[in-house]
Amino acid sequence: MSTERSENLKYYDGLRKIYKKPEDYEFVGKSYNRIDAEDKVTGRAKCTADIYLPGMLYGKLKRSPFAHAKIISIDTSRAEALPGVKCVITGKDFRGGKLGNPEAFKELADKESLCKDKVRFVGDEVAAVAAVDEETAIEAVELIDVVYEEFPCALDPVEAMKEDASVIHEPGTQNLSMLTTMQSGDCDKAFSEADYTDKHRYSTQMMVHAALEPHGAVATWENNEITIWTTTQGAHVSRFWIAHGLGIPQSQVRVIKPYLGGGFGGKLDVFPHELCACLMSMKTGRPVKIILDRKEVFYGTRTRHPMELEIETAFRKDGTMLAKRCRHVLDGGAYGGSGVAANVLSLIWATLPYKVANIDMMARRPYTNKPAAGAMRGYAASQVHFANEVHMDEVAEELGIDPVELRRINACVPGYEGPTGLQVTSCAFKETLDKAAEAIGWEERKNGLKRGEGIGFAGSGFVSGTGFPVLETPKYHSASTTVRLNREGYATIFTGANDIGQGSDTVMTMIVAEELGLKMDEVKIVQSDTTLTPFDSGSFGSRVTFLAGNAARRAVGDAKLSLLEVVAENWNCQPEDIVMKDHRVFKRGDSTNDISFSEAVWMYEEKHYGKSVVGVGSFAHDGDKEIYKKNRGNYAAAYSFSTGAASVEVDEETGCIDLSELVLAHDCGQPLNLRAVEGQVEGSVHMGLGFALFEECRFDETGKMLNPTFLDYRFPTALDMPRIRTITCGQPDEEGPFGAKEAGEGSTPPVAPAIVNAINRATGLKFHDLPITPEKVWRALKARKAAEAAGVQEGRNCGKP
Amino acid sequence: MRIIRMKLNDEQIEALVQENCTLLDFLRNQLGATGTKKGCEEGECGACTVLINGVPMNSCLMLAVEADGQEITTIEGIARNGELSPLQKAFIEKWGLQCGFCTPGMIMSATALLKENPSPTEFEIREAIAGNLCRCTGYAKIVEAISAAADAIKEA
Repeated sequence: MSTERSENLKYYDGLRKIYKKPEDYEFVGKSYNRIDAEDKVTGRAKCTADIYLPGMLYGKLKRSPFAHAKIISIDTSRAEALPGVKCVITGKDFRGGKLGNPEAFKELADKESLCKDKVRFVGDEVAAVAAVDEETAIEAVELIDVVYEEFPCALDPVEAMKEDASVIHEPGTQNLSMLTTMQSGDCDKAFSEADYTDKHRYSTQMMVHAALEPHGAVATWENNEITIWTTTQGAHVSRFWIAHGLGIPQSQVRVIKPYLGGGFGGKLDVFPHELCACLMSMKTGRPVKIILDRKEVFYGTRTRHPMELEIETAFRKDGTMLAKRCRHVLDGGAYGGSGVAANVLSLIWATLPYKVANIDMMARRPYTNKPAAGAMRGYAASQVHFANEVHMDEVAEELGIDPVELRRINACVPGYEGPTGLQVTSCAFKETLDKAAEAIGWEERKNGLKRGEGIGFAGSGFVSGTGFPVLETPKYHSASTTVRLNREGYATIFTGANDIGQGSDTVMTMIVAEELGLKMDEVKIVQSDTTLTPFDSGSFGSRVTFLAGNAARRAVGDAKLSLLEVVAENWNCQPEDIVMKDHRVFKRGDSTNDISFSEAVWMYEEKHYGKSVVGVGSFAHDGDKEIYKKNRGNYAAAYSFSTGAASVEVDEETGCIDLSELVLAHDCGQPLNLRAVEGQVEGSVHMGLGFALFEECRFDETGKMLNPTFLDYRFPTALDMPRIRTITCGQPDEEGPFGAKEAGEGSTPPVAPAIVNAINRATGLKFHDLPITPEKVWRALKARKAAEAAGVQEGRNCGKP
Repeated sequence: MRIIRMKLNDEQIEALVQENCTLLDFLRNQLGATGTKKGCEEGECGACTVLINGVPMNSCLMLAVEADGQEITTIEGIARNGELSPLQKAFIEKWGLQCGFCTPGMIMSATALLKENPSPTEFEIREAIAGNLCRCTGYAKIVEAISAAADAIKEA
């Protein structure tokens, strides 16, 4: 491991001397309540849909009924004539550019705020209406007459890349939105020298985020600027794209994120309803509210990329992995958005959490005429780790090596540098393997498993805070924070970090309270408002605790150092001799020098003629902005590692799968709040379980989603969940705030493959295609029975019924 | 339009409503009681759960006029005289929530459960909230919170 820390990381090292020492921690590593919990249990918490403004209009979108068609004409006259309709807009009303994400790929921005010439999926937006009430808006949308000329649609990603496929965006591109390759070492040589090679195909299905709160926005044009309250995971990034789409300066756009009812990646991009609410407010001078209904959220927002993965590995007989070849096809749906990042991410994940020197990898992301795929919890890692971890178990079986041991042999370790330039620093992957195996009782149980019983393992590596700032920023920074100490006895933190339900407001508040020795309710938080708070990239890539948390600690540290320098001067000592605790500021081991927090702030302001004690902090990644184009480099300041262990019973008569227990051991560095970490892991298990066993969006041959409701798209209820055991592993990370790493995303990917490996062990079958429904299991068991009866040797790949 | 009278959170109210207005829209749009959330409008997510004469119901599946003459409790009526209910306290202490969008509906279903069954088993708790979807928590801490609230009520 390179021990030399960069100038960037060392920039704030001067604050370390006054940071709270671990032995003095009052909050870190313990459990404390969320700051928003009381609002949320009393119904006082206001989400976007709960905002009602005087004179407010209600908006609705006109959507395409076809998956792929040319727009011949749009006639809005009947809608405009309907009493109560105040505004009707189409694509020609927008003066700005196309929408995409991130800024570095602005040339890939491919989504018009409203379609002008053609539509690319069932649900594509072609017009919008604002009316005095929702009913009138719905009626008016029906009165808009659009004439289409249908094109053949491309629904299958592999077919979409063929020469004769219908062109979705640009001709001559094989419908590809992204093509990424990564090579390192000498793959051919490694394969030729290997004792054992293995090659299999795997596939995953389309899944959706299904945050309980539907997407929506309320926009109002006042003081020559647009203010939009919206369901976003990144207020500052939204500001950029909203200004871009409207064709106005960012200084005229204010984005505020109220309480958000879950995101999981689905609220990362900017959507047409947000642009339409803004434009219709600008045109009418009245506030406009657009809240999507549940069906629109299903087919009109974002999905998780369905993926097809071909994995070929080379091993020595002692279990050492020598090389990996992989070919990924990601079904991108109709547009790019944040989905373009999935392509490169899918290859990066294929190099974790195991050491491999020789790689030859390619990922392609074709467009198809389906809803656009985007970021989703465990972004691209859920699919890639599923395939690789199921593959790993198959290799273990062939080599006759225990599956936990095979993983241990190849596990990433501290100091490992990956073939694409990932720099692993803190890493307790082996510890997660050992603890998960111990908790599920692997050694005692593995030889006594009865027919139908299975235990499965899977590992995962993930970024703890992608360094990628989404928008181009000076020195590649992606989180800034300001903290002000108030002489009335409290502090205020101004953070751009977006709490999407995970609890980041609580984390930011805690960090300030911890450093200043205040109570949590003596820290007021101002968050996710582009006019009031400094820049933050948003909630994605497991970056909030690590990056925004670091920015918060540096900001409060900066304020604390300014304060303590004045106090130390008065007390004739050094700032590091002074402790802030229980609302007191005192010299360690000296009871004569002991004043209140308020008195200390007063002392500072006296000396500086009334100037406030203010601290600023930021966090910049050590990357370079070409990283996503060169496909080489270090993507994060730290990485998280985890192991899932599942225990299942499969009923051979019905194919039903009973997941009785799931253990998840996660290296999150120093946990900041134990309950929060457990909550994140339990949520991960929920999503991983749905991914493994039943969640799937289905389409008919015309590209229409068949199950856009919670009844038909089933996700786990309270009755479906297993017993979950969360085990935190690892040591404090050198660069993490108080040593913390992420907990919310890296814990998702190992869940599904652990369950699938358990099912494969229980049934003796090899399932390669998600989801593993009871029907699929039943059919595969039946087919095996029939094959056995016919005396035919059993098939290997029984995934596809 | 019709006049309806109901007892809402112990308060007698009278209002003029459109016949086709759901109870959920009446609560939210007309009364400003936005604690009751709208997640699907199809009776599947449970975010809009309220108590009608003590029984948990999806307010999106009911017309406001059907609530005429009934006793309605929403999340805003759960705390009494500024004192949080044992369930509300337990949801806070056990982290029985993250984004909080399902929380009002969860607490309504759990309130009805504990009134009818003061000592529910874990399975009975899970059954009682099976109609309330949560995407954040994996339900573990919600179940824990309801169980802790049941214990707290018994001890009180």
